[in-house]
Amino acid sequence: MEPINWHSVFFMLFSLVACGFSLAVVLTSNIVRMAFYLVIALAATSGLFFLAGADFVGAMQIMIYVGGTLVLLIFGVMLTAKGPFINMKTAAGEWILATIVGGSLFVVLLSAATNVPSWQALDERPAEAQVTATRLGMALMGARVDALEEADPVTRRGLSGYLLPFEIVSVHLLVVLIGAAYLARPKKRARGSADSL
Amino acid sequence: MNIFTEPVGVSHYLVVGAVMFVAGAVCMATKRNALGVLMGIELVLNGANVNFVAFGSQYLRPGANIGLDGQLIALFVIVLAAAEAAVALAITLNFYNNHSTVDVDQADELKG
Amino acid sequence: MDPVSILPKLLGAAWLIPLASFTLIVFFGPRMGKAGNKAGYLATAAIGTSCALSLFALFFVWLPSYGVPPALEHAAADHASTDHEAGDHEAAAGHESSGHDAAHADAATVKPIVGDWYTLGKFGALQLTIGYYIDSLTVLMFAMVTIIATLIHFYAYGYMHDELHDVVDHEVRLSDGHHLHRPGRFYRFFQYLSLFCFSMLGIVIAGNIAMVFVFWELVGICSYFLIGFYYERKSASNAANKAFIVNRIGDFGMIIGLMALFASLATFNFGDIDYDGNGAIEVAERGIFSQVRTPENHFAIAVPEGMVRATAPGHDPYWMLVIAGIGIFCGCVGKSAQFPLHVWLPDAMEGPTPVSALVHSATMVAAGVYLVGRFFPVFAPEVLLVIAITGCITLFIAATIAITAVDIKRVLAYSTVSQLGYMMLALGVGGWSAGMFHLVTHAFFKSLLFMCSGSVIHACHTNDMTKMGGLRKKMPWTAYTMLVGCLAIMGAGVPFSIWLAFSGHYSKDAILAQALSFSTSNPSLSILFYVAAAGAAITAFYMFRLWFMTFAGEPRDHHIYDHAHESPKIMYYPLVVLAVFAIGSGWSLFGFGVQPLLEQARPAGILAETHGVLLPELVHPNEHTSHIDAFHVPATIWATSTALAGFLLAVVFYGLRLLDAREVSQQFQPIYRFLVHKWYFDELYGFLFVRPVLFVSRRVAEFDKRVIDRFIDNLALGVRMISTFDDLIDRYLVDGAVNTTAGWLYGLGRWFHGAETGKLRQYVMFIVVGTVGLFVLITFYLNSTYAG
Repeated sequence: MEPINWHSVFFMLFSLVACGFSLAVVLTSNIVRMAFYLVIALAATSGLFFLAGADFVGAMQIMIYVGGTLVLLIFGVMLTAKGPFINMKTAAGEWILATIVGGSLFVVLLSAATNVPSWQALDERPAEAQVTATRLGMALMGARVDALEEADPVTRRGLSGYLLPFEIVSVHLLVVLIGAAYLARPKKRARGSADSL
Repeated sequence: MNIFTEPVGVSHYLVVGAVMFVAGAVCMATKRNALGVLMGIELVLNGANVNFVAFGSQYLRPGANIGLDGQLIALFVIVLAAAEAAVALAITLNFYNNHSTVDVDQADELKG
Repeated sequence: MDPVSILPKLLGAAWLIPLASFTLIVFFGPRMGKAGNKAGYLATAAIGTSCALSLFALFFVWLPSYGVPPALEHAAADHASTDHEAGDHEAAAGHESSGHDAAHADAATVKPIVGDWYTLGKFGALQLTIGYYIDSLTVLMFAMVTIIATLIHFYAYGYMHDELHDVVDHEVRLSDGHHLHRPGRFYRFFQYLSLFCFSMLGIVIAGNIAMVFVFWELVGICSYFLIGFYYERKSASNAANKAFIVNRIGDFGMIIGLMALFASLATFNFGDIDYDGNGAIEVAERGIFSQVRTPENHFAIAVPEGMVRATAPGHDPYWMLVIAGIGIFCGCVGKSAQFPLHVWLPDAMEGPTPVSALVHSATMVAAGVYLVGRFFPVFAPEVLLVIAITGCITLFIAATIAITAVDIKRVLAYSTVSQLGYMMLALGVGGWSAGMFHLVTHAFFKSLLFMCSGSVIHACHTNDMTKMGGLRKKMPWTAYTMLVGCLAIMGAGVPFSIWLAFSGHYSKDAILAQALSFSTSNPSLSILFYVAAAGAAITAFYMFRLWFMTFAGEPRDHHIYDHAHESPKIMYYPLVVLAVFAIGSGWSLFGFGVQPLLEQARPAGILAETHGVLLPELVHPNEHTSHIDAFHVPATIWATSTALAGFLLAVVFYGLRLLDAREVSQQFQPIYRFLVHKWYFDELYGFLFVRPVLFVSRRVAEFDKRVIDRFIDNLALGVRMISTFDDLIDRYLVDGAVNTTAGWLYGLGRWFHGAETGKLRQYVMFIVVGTVGLFVLITFYLNSTYAG
């Protein structure tokens, strides 16, 4: 009897939750429930991130996704959640069509995921876990401390930091927030502008 | 084969990512509610993120991974998803203000 | 006042003022007063100013400067002795009497004032200038032309008043059966008159033959415009064309003469112009005259150096001189309506009568005679003989035709042709001053006669003399001024008096005297004198036939007679003035007269008796010889008696009607028909030139139609067939391919258009399907191993 691989166990747990609630999101037609199921699915995904050793990304997943983006979505749900819009039924034909198309995509993806030998599970494990926050933070600042030991100078030269993408993303975020605020602002009465003319 | 004793590999994560991705895609294709479509997008992005993280994981593929790149791209995707969600929600609210509905089938102005 | 500096200015101004008037009327004519009547004032004022300037030049510049010329009697007396001497010489040896005689005779000659106003261009030896050649002939012609032109302007103002308002031309019937209605063209008439005056004065003052040619053509085109003034009438436009084309024939000869002169003498100038201003005339500065008659040669005619050089070896350079002379004379034949180009002038009577008076009697046709006179020094004796014979033939033909004409203006037209023949004859037999003298006197009485006839036509509205008669009671002014004109042209007067005769008497006497002198020297050519004498009789006959038919006897057409009336004052006052000139212009009173004045302009050397070179028997006697009694008295007796005979014949036939002219004409039917048909000249030319040209044209047209057109047609047909074929290819192959492709693409577009539902969810489905498709493609169809 081999010892229980807890990593595998928690992986199964989180993956089942994530997959199950993802499917639930698809299957339910109630928008409020969809939001709730999505929160659970995304939270479970962050668990998967932790299991994969990406502790910082997992934390960000919870903070930004679950804490920010989904709250935003739920705001939207609440703002528009009027009687007829909560349950919007989809025609059966569309369901069938979507199932066929989605199923075929799934088959394709599944075959790709399982047929590559190097992606299969490995026996040996690294002894200790490393906290990745520092390395990520330094990489975003432009320094790849994880690659200092890189022997090949050619490879090392390619491992520069992510300062520029970081800046771009930051500015992008700012622009997006301003744009969102502008788009969502309440409309003025058209009559007022007509008078001013 | 015991799933509690066997170690998990990249393939397992990829399968989870595929499930989430397909769920998101089907969600986008079937939901008439604009917010449902948005949720599908979030699912698709997450499924992709799972893949990135899996490929960059030290645990799953020691020595043969893509290193920090996977995690960093996952971070960017998260940030972009947030930005996208903000804008999409603003568009949705605007659409709701104009059409008094969130049914995307009503938004067929792009019809050729 | 220095005539050398003032005369070019005065006459230049007199010459250019009508041009200014023409220019103004061209641009502003229709706006000058009601229907352009102010244009008449303007043109009349312009020519009046010219007239004043010309008379001023004559009486206050020329005469005071060059003295009153000796009267004819004095000149004749002076020469009586020399003439006898010359006769002796002639009798003795027949040698060339040159130096002494010529030098003596040229004492009266005044050196002409020559120069250039403006050089148009200089092309090597060819120098085109606007120059002047002023001698007493120029001044006299200026005075004559402007006086007559001024009077005719006044007259035309009355005559053309119909044109001040809309005109109904009863001679033009339109296709719809109505008469032509057209707006009046009063201003245009005066516009052309001004241009004509400018052109005529240009010929007179011209200092070189090129300038003469330019104004020659301008006169021709004015004539064309004025003959065709009623251009809606077929006959008028035909007459205008005829005049123009016939003149072209003459001008062609003139161009040949110009080329011969310029090619050999390298100048167009008449006189010597001191271009370098050193006061001396070098050989290079010599004009045509002094090259032909060089001072070194005592002004006797000789073949100039240039012509000797320009003639091919082995040929006689004298021919060049003859050809140049005959060429220039050809132009004069056309312009002065000499045989055989006289046919245009009678037809030119289609123009308004003032035009006939000004253009076709007194001045334009006189231009030809004037040019012969101006060019006289260049004409070799043989050329002069040609001129004399041409003039003689013309005067006889025209006089005989005039006998039978019934159109009042045609009678006068043929009379003009006949009188021009007289002038040519006079010039041709060496009577330079006689010809020029007759030119001046004839201008006055012929314009008088034409204006009288215009007055009659104005009153009767017809040209046909057979419908007139007895008009002298209705229009006495016209009748008696015309009588004066008839007497003048007939040459009535007391023989051997110095003033008791009409002007024609003196000039015709001079011509006949010179002709007699010439006949005596050349007995074989005495026919010239007899024809001239007979012509005088015929002239008197037809002129009085005209006068009697028109003014005397009983009215033939009472309708016309009852409507006839005297013309307005503006029309008969000029008649009176002209009648005075017709009477008096031949007089030589108080030492002044036309003929003594002309002596001042006599070209150097032409008084000398000259002998022909090609025809050695040909002798041109000294003109002053004709003044001796041996020639003068018989000539006067001949002239007076023939004129009297003609007059009496006319009285018998038409005045007293003792004989019926119709009976006579029936008795001499063939001759009568011959004359009525104008010697069949028009028919002859029609047969000789017009029909052959038409025949050839028709053949050419047929060739054109049958061969060239058919070839072109077939070519076009072939091209059309090819194009049709090409069109099919284009339409079905090229267009078909393009259209089919476009149709396919359009269908494809329509089909894709169906996919554009605008439904977001469907698009997502497409994306997914596409992704799956890509995967399938990569997996099964691309041999890829990178995933492994």
